[in-house]
Amino acid sequence: MTAPLAVRPAAEIGPDVAAALAAASPPWLADRRRAAWDAYATLPMPSSARDEDWRRTDISGLHLEQHRMLDSVNATVVGGMRREHDAAAPEAAFAIDAPGTYQVVENADALLAQGIIVTTLEDAASRHAELTRRALAPLAIDESKFIALWNAVWRGGVFVYVPAGVEALAPVWIAHAVAGERAASFPTTVILLEDSASLTVIDTYTSPKGDVELFSDTVAVMTAGRDSRLDYCALQQWGDGVWHVATRRASLGANARLRFFGATLGARVQKAYWEAVLDGAGAEADLFGLCFADGKQHHDHQSLQAHRAPETRSNLLLKVAVRDQARSVYSGLIDVAPEAVHADGYVQNRNLLLSRGAKADSVPRLEIRANDVRCGHGATAGHIDQDERFYLMARGVPREQADALIVRGFMDDVVDRIPHRGFAELIGQLLDAKIGGPAAAEQGR
Amino acid sequence: MSGTPTLSVHGLHVSVDGKEILKGVDLEVPQGEVHALMGPNGSGKSTLAYALMGHPKYQVTAGAASFDGADLIALPADARAKLGLFLCFQYPTAIPGVTTVNFIRAALRAQGKEVPAREFLNRLAAEMALLKIDESFRQRYINDGFSGGEKKRSEILQLAMLRPRLAILDETDSGLDVDALRTVAEGVMQLAGPDMGVLVITHYPRILQYLRPDRVHVLHAGRVITSGGAELAQRIERGGYEPILGAVAAAPVA
Repeated sequence: MTAPLAVRPAAEIGPDVAAALAAASPPWLADRRRAAWDAYATLPMPSSARDEDWRRTDISGLHLEQHRMLDSVNATVVGGMRREHDAAAPEAAFAIDAPGTYQVVENADALLAQGIIVTTLEDAASRHAELTRRALAPLAIDESKFIALWNAVWRGGVFVYVPAGVEALAPVWIAHAVAGERAASFPTTVILLEDSASLTVIDTYTSPKGDVELFSDTVAVMTAGRDSRLDYCALQQWGDGVWHVATRRASLGANARLRFFGATLGARVQKAYWEAVLDGAGAEADLFGLCFADGKQHHDHQSLQAHRAPETRSNLLLKVAVRDQARSVYSGLIDVAPEAVHADGYVQNRNLLLSRGAKADSVPRLEIRANDVRCGHGATAGHIDQDERFYLMARGVPREQADALIVRGFMDDVVDRIPHRGFAELIGQLLDAKIGGPAAAEQGR
Repeated sequence: MSGTPTLSVHGLHVSVDGKEILKGVDLEVPQGEVHALMGPNGSGKSTLAYALMGHPKYQVTAGAASFDGADLIALPADARAKLGLFLCFQYPTAIPGVTTVNFIRAALRAQGKEVPAREFLNRLAAEMALLKIDESFRQRYINDGFSGGEKKRSEILQLAMLRPRLAILDETDSGLDVDALRTVAEGVMQLAGPDMGVLVITHYPRILQYLRPDRVHVLHAGRVITSGGAELAQRIERGGYEPILGAVAAAPVA
């Protein structure tokens, strides 16, 4: 691996940071970084008054220029993430993405022996420039303020490449760790699957518990070749003070199959884009997500199922529970291009409101420009059913515990669809812990 | 045979959505006895069952109900269950995502009746065999996609596992074929005895051939209008409710 990219310690986000990173990068990447910084400097900050995407999510309290490029990370956080990996998926290669401090890939020998590349994105950019460029292609430099910023100043990152016809023998587990007041972080996962390759990737995101203000500009970009299989799971469990902006985008070739799972548990404010672009005929994407928001959390998910080729199929289900003063915002679009005949797409968002003060907005949409397609959407929001609660209480289960069982039950069909069993068990435990209630913690199967 | 009343209901008035359904119910079920509460459709039988178990939609506006001396009205449903009351639902609620087995364990724990895992599973297997419940039931969610008969068997399984002191069977016989009815009724009779009394709610006397009540009460228009021994059920079997309702209407008001 090459030496990690260094910037002036604790430098605030600004042109000097971008210039320093560009100077330390290979020429193709340096150009990209410079162009990205120019775009970032030009683009206005998203505003709930001006931008439809941000209409219900207010980030006026986020001051990017006050966030710093920190090299410190909390050993407790990394230790906890390592234990999660060891318990849930000991067979998986383990990569830590904590720029400047921990950039580690462990337990990857079996994968490397298959010709699979698992390394930092910095390393890949130097040693596998062509692959890295291809892998980053689905992301335009200037498509948004936060994508431009990411392109200009990302460090660390994890790059995974699977050659044609190779089925990875083990998953890759990536721990994105951040710590430090006002840290700016750019957790990054870049995946490239050649034709007929297959791989499972698990992305986890953790910072110290509590109300430490941090900013995370997360990117996960995936390219899956013809006939490939990609299982992708993400777990967002940042601390309570985190601003989390994320783009997870998969571009799928002909007959490629994506199974995507996302769990949203942490952060103070989240704006997450989940996007499947079905570029090749016959491509399929199943996207499942769960979100539990409490306290003053604000979780915004925006999904895109882009059908760009004939005979493509996509299905998305996001289940959300909101409690206390928490708020969920969901908007999702199935976009069917004229050439995507016989497209089959469904988008569904179901919300469970657990407190009077909690709120959930849901706007699934269809935009269909092709003939002979089958597309649909659905959205529901409701409180815990009084008869369900009564049924459980009539057997002696106290109300809070009854509610916890019902919430867990509500989430269960999504948990059941998580493509990796050990990771599904971890999600169940984290969910139970967040829902609270002793019965819930014991309900795991 | 008759001892101190376990369940004691006096002048109970219950409203649902502001409409009064029960208009002064009096009823006493002593410990260990089997009582039948009969009555035509719409007489308020199920309302009494829900009100006794504490469904928040069923508002007690007057009267009293106690179990073993404890005032029920002030208690939430879970506290009533802990006292030893059990309701076999006429229409058991489906709860997707929660398996019945996990739920029974959680209920036992909540009632302070937890047993070691092995003993629990042994008991469960034995009770499931008695009730002719299929093995696949263990993985299934509470009442989710169950047939009518499966729901009733699942209710009796919970009854058998939880061992309450008084079981209220709300139209447990409805929707069951003859064989299923016998299985369910035999399951109940195995449990009924000095430790568990039964209040059978039904408008149809057949189940009483198995359960053989000590007392039969007839509910009509929100009140218990007459009570008697098992012969009362036979009269209803033969002649329906009308002669009884007519006789009561003709009798002078005390």
